Amino acid sequence: MSDLIKKVTALLNDKTINAFIGYEKGSANRIRAIFVRTEDQVQKLILNASCTQNLTGYLMKHEVKKLGKLGILANVAALRSIMQLASEFQIKDGEVYVLFANADGSLTEFTDFKSIETFLQTTDTGIKSEEQEMIAKLEAMTVNERWLFWNKEFEKCIKCYACRAACPMCYCHRCTTDVNQPQWIPVASHELGNLDYHLMRAMHLAGRCVNCGECATACPMDIPLNLLTYQLISPIKATFDATAGMKADAMYALSTYKPDDKENFII
Amino acid sequence: MSRIGVFVCHCGENISATVNCEKVAKITGELKGVEFATDYKYMCSDPGQTLLKEAIKEHKLDGVVVAACSPRMHEPTFRKACAEAGLNPFLCEMSNIREHCSWVHPKDDLTTEKAQDLVRVMVEKVKKNKALNSIKVPVTKTALVVGGGIAGIQAALDIANCGHKVIMVERQPSIGGHMSQLSETFPTLDCSQCILTPRMVEVAQHPNITLHTYSEVESVDGFIGNFKVKIRKKSKSLDEHLCTGCGLCTTKCPQKKIPNEFERGLGFRPAIYVPFPQAVPNKPVIDREHCTYYIKGKCKVCEIVCPTKAIRFDQEDEVIDVAVGAIVMATGFDVLKTDYFPEYGYGKYADVIDGLAFERLASASGPTQGEIRRPSDGQIPKKIVFVACAGSRDPAKGIEYCSKICCMYTAKHAMLYKHKVHDGIPYVFYMDIRAGGKNYEEFVRRTIVEDETQYIRGRVSTIYEKNGKLIVKGADTLMGGIPIEIEADMVVLATFFAEAHPKLKPVETNTAGIFLAGACQAPKDIPESVAAASGAAVKVAALFSNDELTRDPLVAVVNRSAPPVYSQCVGCFLCQSVCPYQAIEREEIKNRNGEVIKTLARVNEGLCQGCGTCVALCRTKAIDIHGYSNQQVYTEIMALLND
Repeated sequence: MSDLIKKVTALLNDKTINAFIGYEKGSANRIRAIFVRTEDQVQKLILNASCTQNLTGYLMKHEVKKLGKLGILANVAALRSIMQLASEFQIKDGEVYVLFANADGSLTEFTDFKSIETFLQTTDTGIKSEEQEMIAKLEAMTVNERWLFWNKEFEKCIKCYACRAACPMCYCHRCTTDVNQPQWIPVASHELGNLDYHLMRAMHLAGRCVNCGECATACPMDIPLNLLTYQLISPIKATFDATAGMKADAMYALSTYKPDDKENFII
Repeated sequence: MSRIGVFVCHCGENISATVNCEKVAKITGELKGVEFATDYKYMCSDPGQTLLKEAIKEHKLDGVVVAACSPRMHEPTFRKACAEAGLNPFLCEMSNIREHCSWVHPKDDLTTEKAQDLVRVMVEKVKKNKALNSIKVPVTKTALVVGGGIAGIQAALDIANCGHKVIMVERQPSIGGHMSQLSETFPTLDCSQCILTPRMVEVAQHPNITLHTYSEVESVDGFIGNFKVKIRKKSKSLDEHLCTGCGLCTTKCPQKKIPNEFERGLGFRPAIYVPFPQAVPNKPVIDREHCTYYIKGKCKVCEIVCPTKAIRFDQEDEVIDVAVGAIVMATGFDVLKTDYFPEYGYGKYADVIDGLAFERLASASGPTQGEIRRPSDGQIPKKIVFVACAGSRDPAKGIEYCSKICCMYTAKHAMLYKHKVHDGIPYVFYMDIRAGGKNYEEFVRRTIVEDETQYIRGRVSTIYEKNGKLIVKGADTLMGGIPIEIEADMVVLATFFAEAHPKLKPVETNTAGIFLAGACQAPKDIPESVAAASGAAVKVAALFSNDELTRDPLVAVVNRSAPPVYSQCVGCFLCQSVCPYQAIEREEIKNRNGEVIKTLARVNEGLCQGCGTCVALCRTKAIDIHGYSNQQVYTEIMALLND
């Protein structure tokens, strides 16, 4: 019996949590999320190198919230998601029990925000090198080339909203896309509406994206959506000295003013 | 189906000279939902308004578009007319075909077409308008005055004399502020204390004024008409009700060598002290930092000698909550610290002093009983240099603006010096003499001509000590910049007066119901401070003249929706940090068992100014502004685009 199974069994038995979000084996060698509520479900939990999904998106779902007090298996991106959600008042301190899977397979418990903050300060939270290369390529393009690149990518979009469902920060119960009085974003998956949707999403994630990459992973059409939001990370860092998902009481860079904020964007 | 009325105004010839108003009325009258359209020479005139009112009644209009001037000009006029005809005023909109059309385009068919477009856009908007009701906010008719200097005193007395309650908070043990430190005031040379102290007593005795000295404002919550303020009453170590102000304790206190702040460090005071003889209230406080009892744990001489047993060593700070409807900030100014002028030796040489210290030297109740004696050895200085603009108008010091009152008080200092030391020579280094004000120029002339003050135009570069003299080096720029060196006995720096920032966030001065008075706003002399204070007092009195405030309902609102969601807000509260008026509150949504299901944003209608910043930031589009909802603005844009 693995440490994980032992730990979760104990947590469920002493009623610390009512449900635990972890990974189980899916069909065709795939991994999928499992919501463990009973002791026999615990046995299905697995933890291996393929378990990379950021599960925090589920924390915000209505159906999952109803299960009661939650525990979650987290990776670095998930820890940052929790911090960002906390700063947006979506999770209260102590509300979620966090088990962090270390690289060697051992587990670290986090029961409060403070310990997660301390842990993140000494952890590599950056963007993967291959993704950095892609961003560098995008930034090297002329504006026109970049425009064509993204238009071509968005042509593929089928508006399935998998990116939105996977993103831990897309927790609004009524997305702008769903607002039809007025209809801000055209619903059909034609070029213009697709562009509107993805630009809107990127803007809504500016200063909030924790670079977990779930949007791109979830996309059935292989659009590298993560690059769109990743590209906004360094300007926000450079302009406002802010990084999303590092502190539970962080103030949102785009809604707060500091006297030493750069104002060079004002013409 | 709407029944909208369109009223096109000629504005004399202002509009009709370039726009075919008859045609605008005719074309827009054919729009879907428009029941009635007409044009008239002056819509805002009495017959014009009557025409509008009659049309509303006759055609049973449920919306009105007045195509005329800017809404800033006549929107209230036409909304009032609509209300008089029984139509909700917020169903009336103005289409600006004057500033946005007739004034900026030549006479042309295209100009008329643009006017038609502008009217059409507004017709579409009015279709989405909702009847709104004015917001009523109750008013607490008590004012808080922060600061007990001359500005605070004036504001408090004016408000109190209008019959309203006033709470005054002063940081120091006595009210009076900087004016109580001054010797004589320009341009009349009235004794400062003689003008001020009767007012101080009036404040203390006024039945409408509650005075909290040695106290500070800790926090301010709420909004216009309804502020909640926490005041920290610092411990005076004294039962004020028992103390008679006999002053025995202050004479017996063994600590006698504490630099006296009121005398700008030129004199000494004991640890239990009254800042100055005319203080209001005239009751001492214990300075715990210097008191032997608080340092060493024994002494209590004051307690022993006190005939009424009023000393309370174990007294603690008290925090009181008060409710006020308006706040006047009159926190005054501070003189720049000594480290600002290393080149002038300020803080290094005892005989380089600032203007306020000179006031104390010249004051009859000051440390030298009004004789000008230099601090170092008590000698009467025979040559004295006044340096104007010390620190101000100096970009190198980071202060580019003029502190305004120094020209006048420097002239006064030179005059007072000459009146007291007849054989002395006063020198004034100045950049420009700025003496704008009643009798001010004449006063400066008197200083120069009658009192033979040597005015030298130029900045002082450095001051250093040599053989007991202060060597003042500068240049006379009116003499072609020749270097000047004066061996002075004493130097007075007309230091920059930095306004003390109100103890609130800067943005909160934008808040309705908070007014500024006196030198906390900008450098001001006494008459200006008094005038500003009376101005602030009138604003407060006007605010208190009604039991309720009526506000336009054009404020933000968080849209409700049906359960289980209840509100379209997701509670991320980014709107809360972006709101410049702190108008976003947290609302707890409870289920029928009284359990909190979620915490969401709610707009406080009293605080919201309708700026719309929250609307722009809200990702879920959960916030709208009444009268300018997303739907309305979107409809306007679509009406233009779908021509």
